[in-house]
Amino acid sequence: MKLKMFFFTLLIFNVYYFYAQTCCSGGIPLSNNLGLANLEKGSIQIGLQYDYNNLNTLNSGSDKLNDNSRLRITHSVLLNAGYSITNNLSVEGLFTWVNQRRKITQFGNENLDQTSGIGDAIFLIKYNFNNILGQNSALNIGVGTKIPLGSSTETNSQGITLNADLQPGSNAWDVIYWSMISKNFDFRPSFTISSRVIYRNTGTNTSYFGDSSYKFGNEFQTYLHFSDQFLFVKKLISPSLSLKYRTANQDKIGGFNVDNTGGKWFSIIPNFSIDISKNILFSTKAEIPVYSFVDGTQLTPTYRLTTGILYKIPRKTNKLILN
Amino acid sequence: MKNITFYFFLFCLPLLSCNENDSNVSGQTTTPPPNSASEWTIPINEVKDGGPGKDGIPSIDNPKFINVSQVNPALIGSDDLIIGIVIGDEAKAYPHVILDWHEIVNDKLNEDLVSISYCPLTGTAFGWKSRANGTTSTFGVSGLLYNTNLILYDRNTDSNWSQLKLECVNGTLINNKPKLVNVVETNWGTWNKLYPNTKVLSTDTGFSRTYGNYPYGDYKTNQDFFLFNATPTNNALPNKERIYAILDGDKSKVYQFSKFGKGNAFKDEFNGKNYLIVGDSNIISAFEVSSQFSSLNFEYSFNKTEGFFKDDEGNEWSIFGKAIDGPKKGQSLTVSRSVVSYWFAIAAFYPNPEIF
Repeated sequence: MKLKMFFFTLLIFNVYYFYAQTCCSGGIPLSNNLGLANLEKGSIQIGLQYDYNNLNTLNSGSDKLNDNSRLRITHSVLLNAGYSITNNLSVEGLFTWVNQRRKITQFGNENLDQTSGIGDAIFLIKYNFNNILGQNSALNIGVGTKIPLGSSTETNSQGITLNADLQPGSNAWDVIYWSMISKNFDFRPSFTISSRVIYRNTGTNTSYFGDSSYKFGNEFQTYLHFSDQFLFVKKLISPSLSLKYRTANQDKIGGFNVDNTGGKWFSIIPNFSIDISKNILFSTKAEIPVYSFVDGTQLTPTYRLTTGILYKIPRKTNKLILN
Repeated sequence: MKNITFYFFLFCLPLLSCNENDSNVSGQTTTPPPNSASEWTIPINEVKDGGPGKDGIPSIDNPKFINVSQVNPALIGSDDLIIGIVIGDEAKAYPHVILDWHEIVNDKLNEDLVSISYCPLTGTAFGWKSRANGTTSTFGVSGLLYNTNLILYDRNTDSNWSQLKLECVNGTLINNKPKLVNVVETNWGTWNKLYPNTKVLSTDTGFSRTYGNYPYGDYKTNQDFFLFNATPTNNALPNKERIYAILDGDKSKVYQFSKFGKGNAFKDEFNGKNYLIVGDSNIISAFEVSSQFSSLNFEYSFNKTEGFFKDDEGNEWSIFGKAIDGPKKGQSLTVSRSVVSYWFAIAAFYPNPEIF
């Protein structure tokens, strides 16, 4: 009961602290949520996450402008599914449902445009190299694709097609390169330092607005991740902290760079997870921007919350029962 | 099972909090009910969502002005474009460097309420009387574009108005036409010579923006770069060449600044009407020549004062066609319906325009 109260209080604090700042984060968090753990052959993992992404900060370069009239929110529900083909080779799929919102509060009025629906998906195949960097280390590399399952032609209440940023899907296939390296240490085997690098080479929507093309900027993300595990009221908890650096090129429309898109962001991500049963893991995390440098003037992430449950189904083993 | 229920509840908490956040801002509406009219006079599939959303580009509703001596030359140089207007004895300049970020200024000159609109993507500016549905109204930026040109909305009825089509295209005021107020587009150096006592729109707009930073990259000079397409296209001139266009119904006649050199005044005929066109490489104005003035011969005579051209009767005329000296002092020529625009926009809105 104490444990429940602890996490309840923790989450309430997180949610309302950010709420008070009226900030959030934006965009569908596809790349953020890739990379299920490598498990033994035949294991299945299924994750269900909710992601709240809020952009309410207007930046010019790295300068924050005094204007919070624009609010972009993305609500996402993400379903991860992973299967270990061998002890080192695994595949992973990420499916999304998204609600994109753009709200302008100006002159005492509020104008809201939104779309909802199935978003784009990701399929990733990855391979694990154990102990390649010494004892208790692992290197994972993967390659995948973003599959344009989502609609890119959603309209507003008047039937006017909304722009690319508000669509659930992109109508473009991307190529994704993913890698992760991790290391545990003898002095504290539960302590892990890991790093992830993701590069997304974006495709082009060749039927944007029916008569143009749109390409989101190529994206590079890297994470440095510190985590540890503790026993707390008979439960295994894993607090961790990630440092994230993301850079995105300018989008292109009709082959030309679109100003006020692209930039560089650095953020920190505190994360807590708990094994609520032998095979079920609950986790919650917040992404807090520390530094943003955007091209031109654009909304930049204010904060992002992600919480979810991961269910691990180990390989069935034949047990010998002795009477 | 209790554990699962508990953690599922935790999982859902952020969702609940976010929805609360969304609904907090509502309930402040002072405008009429949102325009839900489905009828448009333009093809709806050619109406595009520009990206920032309705009022995402905020109009300036409480403009402040500065004197010429207060103008920052680093922000507004002599070659920088402005929209100029004169009503009575009050002259005002609205610099592009500010309009790029706001597109509409709802202003008051000599008790007249005027809405100045400027579309950075088509390079077009108009002055409209701030009226809709027979009463005073401000205008705002709808966030929609037609042929990559600004669609304004009026705050009385929420109807949508195409700037360059000069028509309400959707809403309860559909097919209404705006009442135009004469404006000119020229560079700050020219305007300052014409009206040295002009007031200039201040960057103290109430909004935090990086005035002076053009928000559209090389859009003005890259002939092939379009954020949204406009049709039909016409390659008779470079897409982004700034031209002066007389508009008459659905027809247009185009004049190139480069053809005016150091100054010219001539009469021309277009669509059955006679016009006087006066200008130089920085500013052009056109007037319908009524029988009252048809016998006059005009000559360009800009000499760094309000007088811009003269006639053989000894009258001196302003760029707005007002006789400021001579026997006809106080009389006015009829300013033509006209606009400075990027070529492609006139070609899209007024297909097959004549080129002088």
